[in-house]
Amino acid sequence: MIDRIASGFHPFVIPFVFGMVFVIGWCILALVRILFQLTHQDRLAFFKSLVNPKTALRNIKDIFANCLLHVKLWKRNKLLGYMHSSIAFGWFMLIVLGHLEVFIYVPHRINLFYYPIFFNYFVSEADATIGGSLLFFLMDFFLLMVLSGIVLAMVKRFRSMLFGMRRTTRPAFLDRIGLWALWMIFPLRWIAETFTAHISGGSFLTAPMSHLLVRVLGDNIPVMPFWWAYSIALCVFICVLPFTRYRHIPAEMLLIPRRNAGLKIRNARKGLAKVEVFSCPNCGVCIDACPMSVKKANIKDCTVYLNRQIRRGNEKRIEQISDKCLLCGKCEAVCQVGVQGPTIRVAQRSIRKYGLSQDYSNIDIQPLVDAAKGSKVVYFAGCMTKLTPRISTAMESLFKKAGVEYVWMDRDGGLCCGRPMLTAGRLEQAGQMIAMNERIIKESGAGTLVLSCPICYKMFKEHYNLPGVKIVHHTEYLEELVRSGVLKLEKGDTFYVYHDPCELGRGSGIYEAPRKLVGQAAMIVDAGHTREERSCGGGSLGSLTLSFAQREAITKASLADLGVNHPDAIATACPLCLATFSRYSSRPVRDIAEIVDIQSNGSE
Amino acid sequence: MKENVVIIGGGVAGLEAARQLLSLGYMPIVVERKKSLGGHVAQWNRLFPDMTPTKDLMERLIADTAQANIFTETGIRFINRLKDGYNVMLTNGVNIYSKAVLIATGFGLFDARKKEEYGYGVYDHVITNADLEQWFNGKEDNRIPESPQSIGFVHCVGSRDVKSCNSQCSKVCCMTAVKQAIELKEKFPQAEIYCFYMDLRLFGKKYEDFYISAQKDYGIHFIRGRVSEVSERLEGRLQVKSEDTLSGKPLKVGIDLLVLMSGMVARDENSEIASMLRIQTDSDGFLKSRDNIYSIIESERPGIFFAGACTGTKTVPETVAEARAAALEIHNYLSR
Amino acid sequence: MIDFGFKINPSSTLDLDKADLTLYNKLVRMEPEARMCMACGSCSATCMSAEYSGMSVRKVLLALQRGKDVSMMLSNCMLCGKCTMVCPRGINTRHLILSLCRIYDKEGLK
Repeated sequence: MIDRIASGFHPFVIPFVFGMVFVIGWCILALVRILFQLTHQDRLAFFKSLVNPKTALRNIKDIFANCLLHVKLWKRNKLLGYMHSSIAFGWFMLIVLGHLEVFIYVPHRINLFYYPIFFNYFVSEADATIGGSLLFFLMDFFLLMVLSGIVLAMVKRFRSMLFGMRRTTRPAFLDRIGLWALWMIFPLRWIAETFTAHISGGSFLTAPMSHLLVRVLGDNIPVMPFWWAYSIALCVFICVLPFTRYRHIPAEMLLIPRRNAGLKIRNARKGLAKVEVFSCPNCGVCIDACPMSVKKANIKDCTVYLNRQIRRGNEKRIEQISDKCLLCGKCEAVCQVGVQGPTIRVAQRSIRKYGLSQDYSNIDIQPLVDAAKGSKVVYFAGCMTKLTPRISTAMESLFKKAGVEYVWMDRDGGLCCGRPMLTAGRLEQAGQMIAMNERIIKESGAGTLVLSCPICYKMFKEHYNLPGVKIVHHTEYLEELVRSGVLKLEKGDTFYVYHDPCELGRGSGIYEAPRKLVGQAAMIVDAGHTREERSCGGGSLGSLTLSFAQREAITKASLADLGVNHPDAIATACPLCLATFSRYSSRPVRDIAEIVDIQSNGSE
Repeated sequence: MKENVVIIGGGVAGLEAARQLLSLGYMPIVVERKKSLGGHVAQWNRLFPDMTPTKDLMERLIADTAQANIFTETGIRFINRLKDGYNVMLTNGVNIYSKAVLIATGFGLFDARKKEEYGYGVYDHVITNADLEQWFNGKEDNRIPESPQSIGFVHCVGSRDVKSCNSQCSKVCCMTAVKQAIELKEKFPQAEIYCFYMDLRLFGKKYEDFYISAQKDYGIHFIRGRVSEVSERLEGRLQVKSEDTLSGKPLKVGIDLLVLMSGMVARDENSEIASMLRIQTDSDGFLKSRDNIYSIIESERPGIFFAGACTGTKTVPETVAEARAAALEIHNYLSR
Repeated sequence: MIDFGFKINPSSTLDLDKADLTLYNKLVRMEPEARMCMACGSCSATCMSAEYSGMSVRKVLLALQRGKDVSMMLSNCMLCGKCTMVCPRGINTRHLILSLCRIYDKEGLK
């Protein structure tokens, strides 16, 4: 393989070079800007994480797995996974192998960064070697891989249903340009390489066609127009990249290390929030996932549209979308990039100005402190459980059966855990409630805090500082009592389907304890969608603006999905889910505490 | 041979209509799903405003309809339009051709367990208005304590409440609560009785007299505030929370027996009946009359008539009047 | 003050002609559901902060319609959402409170 053109340059590379210089400049500027937007501490933590070998390794692994191989997408949908990884990974390999070729055959050109991209134009094949043909084979193989991905992408654009997506986003004008440029790049490269294959050599994809062409056209093959077109398509794509959905490619590579550094969203629009918003690939997977999208009117309130509106700075829509969301977290669970839809929304809520701010310093909590004293186990039922006495009654009965001494700290009223205030974005008020509840529990001297409401549970787990206190949801607590033999369960013959409450499942990662309990106390069947994929029942406190009437359709859709395997009854572990489902369900709805209470005997 | 008229439902409306149709010279065929006739009313003990024993009314209705063809424990398998009438297939295999069909399927009683915050089925001493009437009828009920010190009545349970999926007023519960409060006070003179209401809707003949008597003669306390939640105190007594809206203060009171006034709701089967007969249900879930002033007993389909609470909440006298009107309307229709 | 030996009590009549309904009208524009309240008192009875600040959505709505200040009542609201859960008219009382807190911002504390 030898240089064909002495200068190593041809004007057709100019569009590509221009594009690359532009996009790299833009990326550096954006990076610097975002780094400046971080707080000093965050910035320090970020740099530290980059030099920490453990996180650095994790960054590389995550970037490779998510950005190139799209592992998460494969798990969700094999066809979509193949489509994305074939383009990303195939393209990546073409670039790597291109560099390898330059490095092996024309090492003095390695400083010309366009050389690996247009390698086949600039070289001619001197003699065929095994190594050379292997490289050519690999180049053609990965080109074929990318081309197959492009074909799938085209099919998906027009027939998204085939890919299991009922609804996808409508691309904006620039997105369309980027999309078409991306679609054009590889077919053009294929044609261009085919046309020069009789000079530069090629493999199975390019060589046979090339032979045919030479035989038909002789020396009159129109080579240049296609190399120009290839370079221009590349230029168009990378020039529009910062302004289209494709910006998610560089943004995601920044997002992963940032998240691995443990940074949290601290500002509604700047820093990490900005990276998240720009990392959204606009794929629209969150649309079908969103429980609200059962109503067509709510589709434009999904996370993908929130990100779009934040990028556009449309304050009115940002507020509407942020306030409507149930904060169920399903969009985040299914998102390939892991854009934190709910957290971004709460951040938007937190910048709102209120003239009237709640203050709880007038509340005398001494009576509550006194009421909580006297036992190692403290039971906090939570506000909502007051409206679902089945749960608290069952818990009291179970404490008795297990012979556990306990204090029900909010039997006669108590304070809210603060989560509703927190999710409304009013962090300062939530902080006051946290401080008060912390004092009540610390002074009680309890070692275990049992909670019945997953909303409280998540709050206590994540935002309370209670050293030496074991915080458990009642499903975990009961599961332990059963496991240690304190409670004995008798298996009944009712078929239950278990609904994962958002805050307990996706929110706190508790999927097993409730299933074990239901499995031991009764028969269990699956819902249509379970665990991370379970849809909110519509009762969530996360939404500020969804009206009672608007929630009905969400509840009914969730119920329909629970009923696909014809269970006798529905089991859940959240007072809000219980109340919401009971309203519309034709099947009985029971909390797990209730089921365990029905099916259990004490050890004595 | 007398002409058949199918009547779906053997409650007060169905039986009264059958009685009238018999005297007009028709052969009413009453189809009742349950084992016994009389519907919800037959479960009641005494009826306001005259405290008439329900037994008397039922005995009279059943005696007067002895000539009618009555199927109990029977449902409708299907109904088809046939010529200018209807072919009705019953679940017992009997097939009837009838030119007119009267729907007298009545209402459903709200399932108080759905209003979980009131603790029906959770706490030991919470019952419904229907349970109380059964107890008046002599049925044992160990939820009712031997000598309660205080008794609460909760109005509007499952009515006027979108959270119970029924925003309509059930019309009769206010009066029933006043009646039952008086009856309980007679049984337990030492007990304090509290009625928690949103609005007292005592619109019928002599209803106001009952109200006055409940205040003056029986000392029943009326508290304007809807109960929000019921809990159990450590000593086992129920605690009822509401707002005393007239003084503007939250209120709590210890209660030994709580009676929930379960409302009248549209039957779940209404949409099924409607689609079978190709008639409509109204926005409140009840069957839809042609209009709600002049033609309450007529459907939009020829030959299909309504009587009683299948079109909305009704008192017993209203139901009786509608049943008679429907019988006459059917007679007019058939003699055309 | 000079002591005249008697004093004039301010009239206890609510004069609707003179009531300032600016706040209520603003609220209703943002939250049309506010008009649906039938004053049943469920929200007040279930409220966690009622015993500390006299909070009651029912009273807040009534006071606004009579042109009175309600900021004290709202000051202990924990936004727990129980009032929304029990409201028989399905009013989104939780958001209503948030909206009210915002209106105060624009109007200045009255």
